[in-house]
Amino acid sequence: MMTTQSSQLSELTAAQIVEAASAAGEPAWMVERREAAWQAYSASEAPFWRRTDLTKLQTDTLMVPSAVQSTNLVWDASLAAQGVVFTTLAQALRDHPELVQKYFGTAIADEHRYRMLHSALWQDGAFLYVPKNVMIETPLRAVYSLADGSQSTFPHTIVVLERGASASFIEEYSSADQPNQVLCAPASEIFIGDGASLRYVALQAWGNGVYHIGAQRVMFGRDANCDWVALNLGATLQHLETESNLLGDGSKVNWVAAILANGTQVLLNAPWLRHSGTNTEGHMDFKTVVKDSGYTTFDGMIKIDHESRGTITRLEEHALHLSPKARSDSIPGLKIDTNDVAQAGHASTSGEVDDEQLFYMLSRGIPRAEAVHMIVTGFFEPVIDRIPDEALRERVAEMVEAKL
Amino acid sequence: MSNELVIQELHANIGDKEILKGVNLTVTPGSIHAIMGPNGSGKSTLSYALMGHPNYTITSGEVWYKGQNILELEANERSKLGMFLAFQYPVSIPGVTVANFLRSAMNAHRSVEGKDPKETAIPMAQFRKAIREQMSALSIDEVFARRYLNDGFSGGEKKRIEILQMAMLKPSMAIMDETDSGLDIDALRVVSEGVNTLASQNTDMGVMVITHYQRLLNYIKPHYVSVMMDGRIVRSGGPELALELEEKGYDWIREAVLSASES
Repeated sequence: MMTTQSSQLSELTAAQIVEAASAAGEPAWMVERREAAWQAYSASEAPFWRRTDLTKLQTDTLMVPSAVQSTNLVWDASLAAQGVVFTTLAQALRDHPELVQKYFGTAIADEHRYRMLHSALWQDGAFLYVPKNVMIETPLRAVYSLADGSQSTFPHTIVVLERGASASFIEEYSSADQPNQVLCAPASEIFIGDGASLRYVALQAWGNGVYHIGAQRVMFGRDANCDWVALNLGATLQHLETESNLLGDGSKVNWVAAILANGTQVLLNAPWLRHSGTNTEGHMDFKTVVKDSGYTTFDGMIKIDHESRGTITRLEEHALHLSPKARSDSIPGLKIDTNDVAQAGHASTSGEVDDEQLFYMLSRGIPRAEAVHMIVTGFFEPVIDRIPDEALRERVAEMVEAKL
Repeated sequence: MSNELVIQELHANIGDKEILKGVNLTVTPGSIHAIMGPNGSGKSTLSYALMGHPNYTITSGEVWYKGQNILELEANERSKLGMFLAFQYPVSIPGVTVANFLRSAMNAHRSVEGKDPKETAIPMAQFRKAIREQMSALSIDEVFARRYLNDGFSGGEKKRIEILQMAMLKPSMAIMDETDSGLDIDALRVVSEGVNTLASQNTDMGVMVITHYQRLLNYIKPHYVSVMMDGRIVRSGGPELALELEEKGYDWIREAVLSASES
C-alpha cells in the first residue's frame, strides 16, 4: 500500500500545493496550473445551482490527499507492445509530459469552484492512449475508490484514441458507505480521433456520504463514434455535467443512462449534446427510477450550431416513480442555430408503474411485488444490456437489485 | 369443489357508469361457450371483470370457481386457480423477454406457500424444451423467445404469443377476448388451431370465446352461444344461434328483448 498523506482543506495554502507538486517532479506548467487554480478557487464564490443544494457539505473540514491513493487500473499489459499507454495520470505526467500537456484541461475548463479545486488538487487519475489503428477488444478499466479516513478525491481521466483506433473503457467510482462527508470532484476528458470508435462506460456507485460533483466531456473527430453508457447509482448527492461534443463531420454518439435514486439520494444529471460538425448524429436515452424520497433532475440540452447541417438528433427520457415521496424533474432544452436539420425528436414520460402492464403480469399469475420488480429491471435492461463486459453487467444488475 | 364457472347477478362499473347490469352465466368444464354481442354491450368488461382488472369496480354479484368466490382474489391468485385471459390488446413489457416472462409466470404457478421457490421452479432444460415445442406448434420463430414481450410485435404475433402463454400455463378456464380482432385468415387459423389443440388435450378445460363476429366460430366451434346486450345476457342457445346472428344481425334480438320487457 502506498502511504497516504493528507491535510484539511481549510488549512491548505498555495505554497504547500506548489511545494508538493514540485517535490513530485511535476513539470512547471502543471505546478503553475495548480497554483493558478488554487488562487481562483480561493477567490471564488459557491456556485448557485437551483437544484443542487450544497449547504450541508462542510468543505472546510474535508480531508484532501497529496498523493495518488485510490486509482486501480485493470488491463492486459501486453497491449503496451502495440504502443498502448494505460497508467495513472501522475505516471503519464512523468513518462509522457508532452502528451499530457497536449490534452490536460483542453476539454473541460475551470468554470466553477469545484472544477478549480479539482485542477488544484487532483492526484488520482488515469491516462489511456491508443495509437492509430490499434483495435482493443477487452475493456480497460480505471477504478477510483476511497482510501481509509474518508479522504476526498479529484480523479482526472484522459482518454485519447488516435485515428482509426477502437477501444472499450470503463470508468468506475465505487466505495462503501462513509462515516464522514467526502467530496469527489472528478473530470474526464475524452478525445476520439477521426474514424475512431470508443465504448465508454461511466459507473458512479459511491456509498452514502459522498458528494460527487463532476464533469465528463467527449470530443469527437471526423466520423468518430462513441457508445456511452452512464450509470448513476450511488452517492448522497450527484451534480454531474456531461457533454458529447460532435465536432467532427459525420461523428455519432449513442448515449444511454440508467439513474436510480433511493433513500434520500439527490442525483442531478446535466447532459449536453452538441452538434457542431455537419451530418452528425446523436441519440440519447436516459432512464430514471426514483424510490423512497429520492430526487433526480435531468437538466439536458441539445444544441445544434449554426455551421451544423444535416443533423439527426433524438432525446428520450423516461422516469418511473416507485413511491409517492419520490421526485424527478426534467428540464430538456433544445437550441437550434441552423435551418438545416435532418431529424430532431424528443420523447419524455414520467409516472408510476403502468397499471395495464401490472395487470397483464398479475393475470399470468406473477405476484404484484415480483411484477413491479420485473417492470423496473426491464425498464433499465436496454441500458444495462449495452455494457460491453459481462462481469460488470452482472454486477450492475445486482447493484440495481439491491437498491430496489 | 366445482370446476364450473358460475357467474351470478354480476354488476360492474367503470367509474360511475354501470356496464354490467346483472350477468348470469355458467361455463361447464369441457365446454366452449361463445359470448356474442354488438360493440359496447359489455363483453370485454365481463372478461376484464372476471380476471380482476382494477379499472372495473364490482358493485354486486358473485363469481364462483373451484369452490371460491373469485371476486375476493387478486388477479394472480385467479390465474393460479386456473383462469386465463387472452387479451384483445396484449400489453408490451419492454426489457422483459418472452422467455423470462413465461418462466416467471410458470414458476409463480408452481410455487407452493412455505416452500423455497427454487425447489418448485421448473428446471431450465425442461422449460426450454417445452417452450421450443409450443413455439414450433404455433409457427412462432424461436427468436421471439429472446425478444421483449409484445414490444414491436404485429397484431398477429401478439395473438400467437397469447396462445403460447396459454399453452404453457395450461389453464382450466380460458377466456378469449376478441381473439379474432385484427387477424388475417392465416393467423386466425393458427390461433384457432392452437386453442382447439389445447381443448382436445385438456378435455376438462372450459373456454369462453368473446367475439363480435361469427367468423371465429367457424374455427372454434362452440357448444353454447349466449348473446350479450346492454350489460346482460339476453339470449342463450346452441351453435345455430351464432349462424342466425350472422344472417340477421343483432337488431331482431334487440327488438325481441324490448318487446318482451314491455309486455
